[in-house]
Formats: sequence, C-alpha cells, structure tokens
Amino acid sequence: MNRFRGFLGRLSAAILERRRDEDRLRIEVEEHLELQTADNIRCGMSPIEARRQAVLKFGAVEAIKEEYRDQRGIPFLETLIHDVRHSLRRLRNSPAFAATTILTLALGIGATTSIFTLVHAVLLKSLPVSKPEQLYRLGKEPHCCVWGGYSQGDEFSIVSTELYYHLRDHTQGFEELAAFQAAGSVFGVRRLQGSNPAAESFDGKFVSGNYFAMFGVGAYAGRALTPADDQPGAPLVAVISYRAWQRYRLDPSVIGGAFQINGKPFTVVGVAPPGFYGDTLKNAPPAFFLPLETEPLVQGDSSMLRQQDRHWLDMIGRIRPDAQASSIEAQMRIGLRDWLRSHLADMNANDRTRFPQQTLHLAPGGAGITSMRREYEHWLQILMMVSGFVLLIVCANVANLLLVRGMERRQQTSLSMALGARPARLIREALTESIVLSLLGGLAGIAVAFAGTRLILNLTFQNVVDSPIAASPSLPVLGFAFAISLLTGIGFGIAPAWLALRADPIEALRGRSRSTSAGASLPRKMLVILQAALTLSLLCASGLLTKTLQRLEHLDFGFQREQRTILNIDPTQAGYRPAQFDSLYRRLRDSLGAIPGVESVAFCLYSPQSGDSWNDMLFVAGRAAPGPSENNVAWLNRITPGYFETVGSPILRGRGIVEQDTASSLRVAVVSESFVRKFFKDEEPIGKHFGNAEFALAGSYEIVGVVKDAYYIPDDLGRAPVPMFFLPEAQSTVYAGAANNAGEVRSHVLHDAILRQRPGASAIPDEQVRRALAAVDPNLPAVRIQTLEDQVAGNFSQQRLIARLTSLFGILALTLASIGLYGVTAYTVGSRTGEIGVRMALGASRGNVVSMILRGASALIACGLLLGLPLALAAGQFLGSQLYGVNQRDPETLVFSAFALLAPAWIAALIPALRASSISPVQALRAE
Amino acid sequence: MVLKTLEVLGPLHGYGVARRIEQISGDLLSVNQGTLYPVLLKLEQDGAISSEWGESENRRKARFYSLTSAGQKQLQAETADWEQTAAIMTRFCTFKVEDVKS
Repeated sequence: MNRFRGFLGRLSAAILERRRDEDRLRIEVEEHLELQTADNIRCGMSPIEARRQAVLKFGAVEAIKEEYRDQRGIPFLETLIHDVRHSLRRLRNSPAFAATTILTLALGIGATTSIFTLVHAVLLKSLPVSKPEQLYRLGKEPHCCVWGGYSQGDEFSIVSTELYYHLRDHTQGFEELAAFQAAGSVFGVRRLQGSNPAAESFDGKFVSGNYFAMFGVGAYAGRALTPADDQPGAPLVAVISYRAWQRYRLDPSVIGGAFQINGKPFTVVGVAPPGFYGDTLKNAPPAFFLPLETEPLVQGDSSMLRQQDRHWLDMIGRIRPDAQASSIEAQMRIGLRDWLRSHLADMNANDRTRFPQQTLHLAPGGAGITSMRREYEHWLQILMMVSGFVLLIVCANVANLLLVRGMERRQQTSLSMALGARPARLIREALTESIVLSLLGGLAGIAVAFAGTRLILNLTFQNVVDSPIAASPSLPVLGFAFAISLLTGIGFGIAPAWLALRADPIEALRGRSRSTSAGASLPRKMLVILQAALTLSLLCASGLLTKTLQRLEHLDFGFQREQRTILNIDPTQAGYRPAQFDSLYRRLRDSLGAIPGVESVAFCLYSPQSGDSWNDMLFVAGRAAPGPSENNVAWLNRITPGYFETVGSPILRGRGIVEQDTASSLRVAVVSESFVRKFFKDEEPIGKHFGNAEFALAGSYEIVGVVKDAYYIPDDLGRAPVPMFFLPEAQSTVYAGAANNAGEVRSHVLHDAILRQRPGASAIPDEQVRRALAAVDPNLPAVRIQTLEDQVAGNFSQQRLIARLTSLFGILALTLASIGLYGVTAYTVGSRTGEIGVRMALGASRGNVVSMILRGASALIACGLLLGLPLALAAGQFLGSQLYGVNQRDPETLVFSAFALLAPAWIAALIPALRASSISPVQALRAE
Repeated sequence: MVLKTLEVLGPLHGYGVARRIEQISGDLLSVNQGTLYPVLLKLEQDGAISSEWGESENRRKARFYSLTSAGQKQLQAETADWEQTAAIMTRFCTFKVEDVKS
C-alpha cells in the first residue's frame, strides 16, 4: 500500500511538480547550509571557514540533487518523455526522412489492413449468430440451387422437403435442424397501405419454421418465425430483414402490417436483427423470410415443396453440446440410405446404379453456406499475396531508411560514447526514435486503412445496395500490420546503434568521411535487391491481369453488346399463369416496342451473361441411351420470335424462331455451333430430331437452324461456349414425370426482355421502360434494368477490381523500391565523397563518376531482376486459371515489367550520381 | 531515526533533523547531511511524514516536517521490529556454553 502510494506520488511529481520540486530542494539546501554556517560561526569559526565546513559536511550537492531527483520522479518515464521529445525534434530536423518513412508505413499498413479486412469478412468470419461453433451444415460443397433425381455426385448436400423431414425426424443429437431454400427468390412485394400501388422487387427466401430458433437469433422487433407458422393452412406470415425495414423508413406499423407477396396476402410479424443476413454471405441478402409451407402458394405452378425428388433446400443444424458430429453424421447417412431405398421404385436406371455410392457429409456450419467464399476465394488469395508482398517491401524500405540513418549517426554515437554515455542509454535513444516513427506511421496507416477498406468494399460490391459486410477495418488485422511494422522499426532501429556501439569510438571518429566498409552496406543492398525482385513479380502479375481483362473486354461474345437494354421481370410475381404468358409477352412487346428509339423487342429465359442458366439431359433421336458416365448435358434457352436479330447473333444456317412457330405447328429448335460440334459431329444437323429430360421424348424437336456460338454463361469465358438449344415460347412438351412438367412450365417464364435501339438513337431512359411496363400491368415490377454492356461488364467487375488493385500495388511497390534505391545510392555517394574527389583530382571525368555510380546501382537492380524472374514466373503460375488467353509466362509482359522497373530505378540512381559528379575536387578533398 | 526524532521533538526542518540525529547519536553518526533530503522525500511520498513551509529560527523560509498517523504506525512497527532483532542479537551475543547444557 505504502509502495503504491509512493508510486502515485512519484508519478504525479514526475508529471506535475517538476519545476516546483527543483526549487524546493534548492531552498532547503540553501537554508540547511545557512543554518549550519550560523552554528559554525557560533562555534567560533570565521564566516568563510564556517561556510566551507558547512558545504563539506553537507556533501556533494549535485550528487544529492541527482539522488533526490531519482527519488522524486520515475527516472525511466522521464527519460522516455525526454527521449520522445528529442526524437520528435530530430525527426522535424529531417523532414524528408520522416515523411518518407511515415508515408511508406502508412501505405503498407493501410493497404494490407484493407485487403485482409475483406479477406477476414468473406473467408474467415462466422455468421452473426449465437454460438456458431455448434452449427453444422450438410455438405462439404454447396450444390446450388436445385437438383433433380435420386443421386448427387459425391455427396448429398441439398435435399428435398421430404428428405429434410425424414432426416429431421430420424436423427438424434440436433437441438434444431433447419432447412431453407438454397437459391434465393425474388418476390414482387406491395405494401397494402396508403397510396403505393406499384409492386417492388425484393430478395427473399423460404425457410423452415425453426430457422431463427436454430440460429439462436430473436426478432429485433415483433417476433421471429416459429414452427407453428410453418404448417399447412397456418396464417400467411413473413419476417423482414432490418435492411428491408430501413427501406420502409423503420416504420413501426410495418410490423403487423399487410403485404402482398407475389399477389398473396401476408402479414409481416417481425424484423430480423440488424446484423443478421441469413445463412449465406452474399451480395443481396434476403429481405423477406417466408415459411416453407407457403412456397406452393407463392410460387404457384413452379412449386417444389411437394416434389420428393426436387432437392432445393440447404440444411444447417445446431447440435446438442454433448452430441458428437460424427455420430450424427452416421445416423444421417443411414437416414439417407433408408429414404433412398423407399424410393427405389421411382428411380431411373442411372440413379439406381449410383444408389450404393450415395452418402452425405456434415461440415462445420458456423460460417454458413459459403458460396461467396468459393466465388471470391481465389481472388482474395491473390490479393492477400499481393498485399503481403507490399508489406514486405514496406518493411524492407523502412529497414533501409533506418539503417542509413543509423549509419549517418554513427559518428555522433561514437562521440557520445567517448564522452561517457552509457550504451544502454544510446540504444534506448535509437529505439525510441524508431518506435516513435513506427507509431506515427501506424496512426497514418489507420487513416489509410479506413479509407482503403471503404474503397475496396465499394469496388467489390459495386451496384449492390445492401452489402452485408461492415466497412470498418478489422482490428486484429490492423494490430497485426501495426505489430509487423513496429517490429521492423525496432529491429532495424537498434541494429545500427548496436553496431556503432561495438565499434571503437576512436576508430569511428577518425574514420569520419572515409567510405564505410563494404560489409556494412551489404544488408542495405540485399534489401534493395529483395525489393526489386518483389516489385518485378508484382508488376508482372498486374501486367498479366490487365492484359487478361483487356482480352476479355474485347472478346467476340457472339452477340452485340452495344445499343441493347435488358429488362428483367418475373411475371409469376404478378400472379400470371402459364396459359396467360403468350398474350402477356405479346402485350409487353407491343408496349415496350412503342418506346421511341426502340427498334425491336424480344424475350428470353435468360439473356447472355445475366448469370442465369438452364441445363438438361439431351437425347438425340435414333441413338442409344447414353451411359451413366456419358456427358449429354446441353443448355436450354427459350425465346420469342425475332430474338436472334434483336440480340445480334447471326444465324449461320437454316432459320431462327419465327411467328409461324405456334403451339400447333411442328415443334422446332435452333441450336448453337458447339451444340452441333458436340452432338452432330460430321453430320448435317438441320432436320435432325432431339429431345430433353426424358429418353422416350428424344424425337421432340426438329432442328431448323444453327446460330453462331455466343457466351451466355459468365464462367465460360476462356473456354469454348457451352452447347445451347433455343426453343420457341409458343411451344411446349408434355413429359411423363411431374417434375419435368413443372420444369417445363418454369422454362416458359421468360425473365429477360431485350430492347434493341434504333441505330443512332440515344439510350432508352429507365423511366420510359418502367412506364411501358406499368401500362401493361402495374403489378409487374421491373426487377432490373440495365444495358447489355453493363450486364457483361458486371461479370468482369472482380477481374477489373483485382487488375486495378494489383496495378495499384505494383505502382506502390515500384515507388517504394525506387525510394529504397535512391536512399542506398545517395548514402553510398555521400560516404564516398572523398573518394570521388580524389578520383576527379586524378583526372576522372564527370561521365566516369556518373557511370561508376550508375554501374553500382544497375548491378543491384540486375540482381533484383534475376532473383525476381523465378518469382514472377511463380506468380504467373499462381494466377494460372485466372488468365484468359494470356500465356502465364507472357514474355511481352515480363520485358515490359522489367523496363517499368528499370526506368524509375535509373532515375533514382541518377540523381545522387549527378550530384556527386558536380562536387569540385577541392571541396571534396577539403571535407576529408 | 528520522521518524523517532520527529516523534519526540515535533515538527522540524531538515537541518534540525540532521542536527538532532547527530546530537542523539553523540556525533558517532556523521554521514553527509545532504543524504538526508532524499530520505525525507521518500518518507513523505510514502505518507509517513508531511511537510509545509514555515519560518526558521533565523527568520527564513524553511520546510518543516512532521509525523503523520501513518508514520506513527510505521514507527511503532519498525521499533517493534528493531527491538525484536536487537533482542535476538543480544541473546546471541550473551550466549554461553552453559545455557545449552542446562
């Protein structure tokens, strides 16, 4: 206690009472001496002798003052404050050094933190739910989004409603096992209040009644969904996300309010918590959560709820704290086996042969369904590598700058040593300076990190209204980057001071302006070489990515990107039935076609590069049924007459789909070039017949035309386009299987209208499109309106982001490496002033001197290039699959990167070289 | 010693304390008087003594130290400690062979 009180007293003394205490001691000592002198005089001494004796008796005043000071304050703290002040003063004296170091650190820490924050949020973070470690999901790999039949490749990771109930009821050990729609839905939502007639489009999801209970997430307002809501015949209720509530301006009357969802009356009973984005981290989290049992009502004819072999649900369960995931997994495997066995009669031949291999896996589900992870993983890894390189370069640069500074201060250190300074004190001084620098850099880095994180998130989630990721840098990452730079600062701040201490002071003082020995500058040279190597590989990577992007953007897509607008709609949202589709699309075509500047309008199931696709088994008439391992998949698209002219894909042979293809006429199909290559190699395709989904219907369609290959699927870029066949909207097929018929109905819901502009007409305003749509039906919302160019470019936004960021990092690295080289060259030149003077006095020309110095710098860069070459090749290898149409070892890029590195490097070396050559010999020699 | 001096004599300035210690110890302890000041400061920081400005015999500004209640306790504790130590030492010093045998 006493000790503590003493410490407090000292602390406050150290901070507050410095000056006063000093005075107090002076007065006390003075008084003491005065009294002693007086006593001595009384004893008979002469005044002078009395004073002398008094001082003698008191002892060494300064030593006592020192002791007194030590007792009074906290010497460590005071020296620290003193040191910090001193270093700040010194840094102010060399602003260039301070600014460079702080800027370097700021960029390094900021950039790294921003990238890692993104990585952390997308790859590592758990769902914002309670105890995410108790959650397990079905499937190692998600199977998006609907699977048919009774077999699923390696594992069952997506289930039908019936299978979900079977597994839920036959598995012990789950506290809750919830299921939810794997794909999202888009709902047309109208709030039945006030005068807001137009339906709006919202993302939504069907979830089991225990969905919120399983996640341990309550309602933010109102109540969450319960199993009672998920019963046939239960009142229609929904929960909305907090973000959706924000769209209603947090109006409290939304809770309990009446809504129409796809034309059906729902009551919103609650709002999910603000941070909750559902089971999957993705661009557009669901805004409306509806119970599974409402699905048939909302989705109408395309409902999947009651189909035993339509697998459309993901599952996540919370296991009991005492339960073993492995034993649950074993039970579920048995459950799956039992369920499949009960459906043996419904299986087709292929499913039956695959039946013995069917199994399932449980995986930790704390992170939710991780499709976004898969999507971004590779890119994020590239970014992480890149930013890691930059952080390395930053550290190298800071180390270099500190080393140079330490060397410059060597004489001063030696002088201090010679005058009796304690070694520990000198090291502490150097240390304080580097820590102060690192801290300042770190502070600036935090500022950069905040701005950078926001920027990167904005770039990543472009055009996304509700980004599920918070735009604040992650603290652990910030701490990590900060710690790294601090360590660098400490390590390379102490090292030179340590070296200086070990040198003999006399030696160091004598050797004032002589060039330092080669050994001392070796670490700095190594650092520059390392920087050059890393920079080269970064420049190479950014070059390759940029080139890829250019290739992609100038690719022949097989359709016309310009002068086309895509309107995305969903007629089922407005309650249309299959029988009404044909007339609806005709009315829409007329209404949209009447917009000024529109040349033609056509509809399709999915437009090119929209992200949607539809594939099916394909059977050619007159051929044997394909074996289980044979790939007979083709992509289906359904279109209205005039589609190919409107989208700009040329018909190569035969004809396109025309008005004369009606429900009663011959059932026809137009196929793509790659379709012909795959199914009719060396055969004449026109007039041949094929069918989809069911082998018995192999003769369904007659091929009447071949259309040029076009890239419809975004993933396809870089590969051959998928084989496609196009069917007319007016015709349909009757299948034997109920699921196939439901699919046939869904395929008639054409989602995209393509509006082709007249040549020379200006872009079509969105408002006019909306008005034309509302003129046909005000209940039909426009899900999305964008130009085809934007739709295509949207698929490259990741590539563009990565290419841009890598280039940015490349330039950053180049700048840093140049600064590093400049520092080294300038320092070498400075320490060789004497030598240069002698050379020039002996007749060396300015050119000789410049070339001598440039040779030294070039040697460093050359070493860097040599070392960087394998690194750059490795980087190319790593990028590998992301490069489209560009060689991993593209020599052009390599050479370009090398020159991009050489040019600034030479400039960085030239400046000090020129300065050295302008020294007059006399002046240089005098400096000796 | 400082504490005891202050206890017996009441508030004193630094020189007074030094003088008294010298006198009481019969001039046997004559260390540098200056070393007293860091000790006074330490005691004050520990809260055993307090100090205030006052006027000395020759009408000059001087700092007077006085014992606090915490110091009183500390003095008692240390006195007891010392007495115990001294008693033990005394016993050792007066130790004779017969004491063990009996």
